[in-house]
Amino acid sequence: MSFLDALHAVVGRERVRSQPLELLLFAKDAGVRAGTAAAVVFPETPEETAACVRVAREWGVPVIPRGAGTGLAGGAVPEEPGLVVVMTRMNRIHSVDVAGRTAWVGPGVINLDLSVELGRHGLHYAPDPSSQSACTIGGNVGTNAGGPHCLAEGTTVAHILAVELVTADAEIHILGGEAPDPPGLDLRGVVVGSEGTLGLVTRILVKLTQNPPHVRTLLIAFADVAAAAKTVSDVIAAGIVPAALEMMDREMVRAVENFVHAGFPTEAAAVLLAEVTGFEDGVVAEAGTIARIADAAGANEVRVASEGAERDEWWRGRKSAFGAVAQAAPDYYLHDTVVPRTKLVDVLTDVYEIGGRYGLTMLNVFHAGDGNLHPLVAFDAREPGMLDKVEEAAKEMVRVSVEAGGSLSGEHGVGSEKRDLMPLVFDPVDLDAQARLRDAFDPDGLFNPGKVLPSGSRCADFDYVAAGAVP
Amino acid sequence: MSWVTTDAPTRAELDACVTCGLCLPHCPTFRLTGDETASPRGRLTAMAAVAEGLAPLDATFEEIMGFCLQCRACEAACPSLVPFGRAMEGARAELTAQRPSRVRTVRHWVLGRALAMRRVVAVATFAVAIAQRLRLDRVGAGPLARLRGLRRLPIPPRPTVGRRFPTAASRRGTAALLAGCVMDPWFSDVHTATVGVLTRAGYDVVVPSAQTCCGALAAHDGAAAAAKALAARNVAAFAASDLVVVDAAGCSAHMKEYGAWADEGAAVAARVRDVTELTAELVAAGALPSIPGDGERVAVQDPCHLRHAQRITAAPRALVRAAGYTPVEIDPAAMCCGAAGVYTVLRPDTSRELGVRKAAQVRDAGVEVVVSANPGCEMQLRGLLGASHRVLHPVELYWHALEQEKERS
Ligand code: SF4
Ligand code: SF4
Repeated sequence: MSFLDALHAVVGRERVRSQPLELLLFAKDAGVRAGTAAAVVFPETPEETAACVRVAREWGVPVIPRGAGTGLAGGAVPEEPGLVVVMTRMNRIHSVDVAGRTAWVGPGVINLDLSVELGRHGLHYAPDPSSQSACTIGGNVGTNAGGPHCLAEGTTVAHILAVELVTADAEIHILGGEAPDPPGLDLRGVVVGSEGTLGLVTRILVKLTQNPPHVRTLLIAFADVAAAAKTVSDVIAAGIVPAALEMMDREMVRAVENFVHAGFPTEAAAVLLAEVTGFEDGVVAEAGTIARIADAAGANEVRVASEGAERDEWWRGRKSAFGAVAQAAPDYYLHDTVVPRTKLVDVLTDVYEIGGRYGLTMLNVFHAGDGNLHPLVAFDAREPGMLDKVEEAAKEMVRVSVEAGGSLSGEHGVGSEKRDLMPLVFDPVDLDAQARLRDAFDPDGLFNPGKVLPSGSRCADFDYVAAGAVP
Repeated sequence: MSWVTTDAPTRAELDACVTCGLCLPHCPTFRLTGDETASPRGRLTAMAAVAEGLAPLDATFEEIMGFCLQCRACEAACPSLVPFGRAMEGARAELTAQRPSRVRTVRHWVLGRALAMRRVVAVATFAVAIAQRLRLDRVGAGPLARLRGLRRLPIPPRPTVGRRFPTAASRRGTAALLAGCVMDPWFSDVHTATVGVLTRAGYDVVVPSAQTCCGALAAHDGAAAAAKALAARNVAAFAASDLVVVDAAGCSAHMKEYGAWADEGAAVAARVRDVTELTAELVAAGALPSIPGDGERVAVQDPCHLRHAQRITAAPRALVRAAGYTPVEIDPAAMCCGAAGVYTVLRPDTSRELGVRKAAQVRDAGVEVVVSANPGCEMQLRGLLGASHRVLHPVELYWHALEQEKERS
């Protein structure tokens, strides 16, 4: 019996892909780097998933979980020829507890579908990454995804109560529970953001959020980026935590407007999208304050969205930013770092400077409210030496962010893309602890090998034993 | 081995895809399977792999392309403006060139030649009309059952091609009507409504006899040479027309792209209007009346080649309102109904699965009437909804309201 035969026996022939061209389509996600899929399988139940893991373990083939493949950091890229386990068919909303505001969902449920489905109960699922219309909840759990509205609501980890996990021994466990703070170690929190390196998540208990009674969205145009950044710090300093506070630079606004035709001001150097939610009086007052602060900082224009269609169009524009970049060049490389808001202007200036020095086309879009930067470099990967140049520039950009007191990866995860930059933010002791945590779950390195932690993370590899650590 | 024709997807078309994946949830075949190989991004990646010589143009490639409905929902969702429909037509043309098969040759003869022969279509129409009268389409689930979605065909037929319909109102201009290959014999009521509405608005309507089938079905199926020949004939037939009106969304979408199919095609393409957009504009401009009605609810089905290929959504709803009804949304996601031209014959299972979903959405809406601006979708809906619902073109709904209004006054 071959590896493929064994998979066929588990899920049937129709749910296994193995032709060379088919495998090529699973070699990468929405990022830049490609790997190699040995086979692709589409389980429909936790039991089938466990059976796939058992087969992979028997044959010594690594397991790489995949959702919609919208990730940008290479989390779903098979670094070594592996079994790609696609979770999209586990896309049922199993149960919704409207009163308790929770739901059990399959990992393949699309983020936006969940919120649309919950709309009739006046609820939604708060984390709203840009790829919200396409990405899966399972993928969001893997990367601890953020999004514009995570400024006030927190990232994915704040919205996951429990996960059902298929572990390396092909057993199915539930970590966490309905109670907000279950006793014992918080293993659920460990799994969120682990990018499929600890096991395969097959069901998820999510926390739901009530839809705000009132929403007001402002679009503010600036003649220079510094004025926009100043508005961001001043708004936060004034004690307002907007539901979202997003910024796009001119190049980005132009690319986006080309697609949505939502009337974005394409002459402005920077555009801020600010959203406040809550009860009517508060919403009106906060929106007024933001408009005043923007005026004082030198805004050219402040627009208030009519509720519904116009607001939706603005957000659709903001959330299509990554795709719209291709109008500039066929490939793009997205950076994802967090810097202190007060350093926003400095870091941005440096980022533009680095891009200029390498002769790269830069577009900027970011969650200004929490200092999560997403500078994009548009380029053509087929130009010889280009990819290396882009990655060199990327490293410099990450370095300036970290030196300004920031951190790697706000929300897209580490994957393979930023893996080798991990030592910039973690010292060997931290990395060793993380590596040993991973070993505890997955001693043989079955799940998503080569992700998150750089090789050499374990202390033995460093030839160094952390003080106080038991070797 | 890469590509061998000049119709192949171009590097610029394929490069436009940044593999962001935002199109995936809009793709019906991805929704059904969750499979990257059945997604727009997967299909473009497969094309790029062949283009770069990384993969052969083999049976796997053929299957990946063949499963696509060519609904172009992905195109409307793509922030990078990838011309997916064009690229897929190019990929299909390559399949024709590189993987010849007898079945495809026969199919292309039907789509590229037979449909353009009025006598062949007339004979087929007569046979179907007889079958309808013998109620052969009501029995069993065989190939004849597919005819259930057709309107009752008139004997004798009432072709419009070659005719002229002068306006009695104050003259606004001349509109040339595309008679179409099967529209004329099979959907003559839609032409009657189109001619009626346009003459009422002040257009002399002409139906040039030198015209032929628009070539959309041939183009979608990779019969590029035949599609070009048909486009060239129509470009000549309509060269002198200031306004070309088309009342089948699949045909209007294709004719708007004639620039890619025939020399001088762009000039004709620029003058093509779908009847829904033209009529809605005439109503908005006051050239045609809005008719008061009791606001009965009417479901609007968006043909993919109206909504995704031409981005026309407001017009059919405006026509429903102008006819005195209330438009009802049935599918905010705007998924394909599965008819998709010859897809319904080539992949009956997927076609039916999507059709059943769409029919259920219509039933859930609690309406008795549904409008659709494309003949393929209309047949799919009527076939699956049965006698409980009336399916019409939005321009017919409006025309009937206009006629009733005239009788009343
Ligand atoms: S939305 Fe456009 S750019 Fe993004 S994957 Fe789809 S076709 Fe490619
Ligand atoms: S044309 Fe339709 S079926 Fe084909 S890839 Fe695009 S959305 Fe999917």
